[in-house]
Amino acid sequence: MRRPTSDSLYLVIVLAPIVLLIALFIYYPALDTFGQSLTNRNLRIRRPPQAVGADNYLKLVNDAEFWEVTGRSFQVVLMTLPMEMVVAFSIAMLLNQRFPGRGVVRTLAILPWMLPGVVNGFLWGWLLNGEYGALNGLLYQFGLISEYQVWLRAPEHQVFWVTVVQTWTRYAFPTIILLAGLQSIPDDLFDAAKVDGANALSRVRFITFPLLLPSFGIALVVEFIAAFQIFDVVWTLTAGSSAGGSINPFTKTLMLYNYELVFRDLRVGLGAALSYLILLMSLAVGMIFVLRVYNQGVQDA
Amino acid sequence: MRLGLRGQERLRLAFIYILCAIVLIWALAPIYWVFVSSISTRKELYARPYKIWFPSQPSFESYQTIFTQGAKFRAGGFSPTADLMGAGLRNSIIISVGAAGIVTLLATGAGYAFARMRFPGRNLIFLLIMFMLPLPIWVSLIALFFLMSQLELIDTLLGLILIFVTLLLPLAVWMMTTFVRDIPAEIQDAARVDGANRWRLVYSIILPLARPGMVAVFLVSMLSTWNNFLIPLIFTRSNDSQPLTIVLTLFIGQYEVAWEDMSAAAVVTMLPPFIMALFFQRYLVRGLTMGAVK
Repeated sequence: MRRPTSDSLYLVIVLAPIVLLIALFIYYPALDTFGQSLTNRNLRIRRPPQAVGADNYLKLVNDAEFWEVTGRSFQVVLMTLPMEMVVAFSIAMLLNQRFPGRGVVRTLAILPWMLPGVVNGFLWGWLLNGEYGALNGLLYQFGLISEYQVWLRAPEHQVFWVTVVQTWTRYAFPTIILLAGLQSIPDDLFDAAKVDGANALSRVRFITFPLLLPSFGIALVVEFIAAFQIFDVVWTLTAGSSAGGSINPFTKTLMLYNYELVFRDLRVGLGAALSYLILLMSLAVGMIFVLRVYNQGVQDA
Repeated sequence: MRLGLRGQERLRLAFIYILCAIVLIWALAPIYWVFVSSISTRKELYARPYKIWFPSQPSFESYQTIFTQGAKFRAGGFSPTADLMGAGLRNSIIISVGAAGIVTLLATGAGYAFARMRFPGRNLIFLLIMFMLPLPIWVSLIALFFLMSQLELIDTLLGLILIFVTLLLPLAVWMMTTFVRDIPAEIQDAARVDGANRWRLVYSIILPLARPGMVAVFLVSMLSTWNNFLIPLIFTRSNDSQPLTIVLTLFIGQYEVAWEDMSAAAVVTMLPPFIMALFFQRYLVRGLTMGAVK
């Protein structure tokens, strides 16, 4: 059967702008970035960039700062994910109960997720402010501290608070995923376990957890990507960077490092190489995600 | 002591509501505090130790200040940011509505094609769009910056809208594809038999049925664009195109700017997402979870 011409015309008109946009704005620049990663392009130095092969990559992997920043990114991921999952699982268990007003609580409980990351960083920065912050006010009022604390002073505290704010920003997503998982577990299973004399704790351990594993899987993949690419929250919470200023080294993660290399230091070649190292590091996790989405979008059709 | 059935139920509810209160404090306290800060007078807000949890004389002066004079410095005087807020608000609205509108149109047309038509390259194009999702954005951003400079699209609203439309495509196309796929095929088969061509079919059969999906795509796209910070950070220079997320960080950057003014700016920046989250949450959740939850 021949395809009617109106069909071909429809496909061209509908798909051409999309293909053009992603080709021009995503894939062509991605290739170009790779090309630049093989040069010593630096906008501070007035000379035509030369091809330097894999020098930039070697320079990065031999650079202590690269490993420090990479380590910090994984540290943020490793601190954020457990905190997030505990918060999300607890709230999902609560919202899975039947009680009047559940819808309202659910709506309000997932609100922070929908706010801009830079605002969230600002909110917490102000909350934790050492001079006038509400946390100091609250703790002082209840007599838990005898004088105001500068919560964001010590480097390790800064990283800790970054993960707290990232958790606050993102916990709603795993909560929703886990809640949907919980609601798909048939009540019969729990009833049967009750009859067999299983207590609440072992019901969670032997029924809820195993059946929630797929939901935890999705949530962990998505939240890994989110935490690994953290940027906005750090920017307003601890980066301490007005335009042109230097970026606080104690909470510098890979994305901030990349921004600094390219747009502060103007070392384009080196920054391009870094972006490809980041791509390599997140590829495995990313592929799991794409395949899942692909299977749902096209294969089942 | 034994409790009756009703007593047990009451105890259960009381326990649940205490836990709900803890959850809501965790979720909302930072938002409440920034709102309180924005309507407080300087004297009360800077009291040490702070113990007023609602201002005795709430005032919207800070909002007026940031829109008319720019932000106050703590030491007195105003930062040179008088028209930043107004321009930021205008830019945020234009960018987010523009990008969301365009991406909704594109995704609806494409969603139908991927869901209902067979053509060579279908799987390849779909995969190329979806592969953008986990791609760390820096890989494209660095060269894209130079491309945009050559096209003279740096610091323009058009440039921002084009970039956002592109970045929103995977989510939008995916949402519309799955949405159209869930519309029963029999409905359109009947129209095909009647001799309707693709355009008629999409316009008069699919569009009305796909409207909830389109609303979801529009709202999610608008929210993501409004909230985005990295793209305007790189591609804007002046208040010709800077959205509110950037303006807010400019205030923060001005070290001595008064907290009550910055709080007001933060409230303005998060107000539209806040309202959308309250009233359109069902749509947003559907989109933002990529169908992991129906």
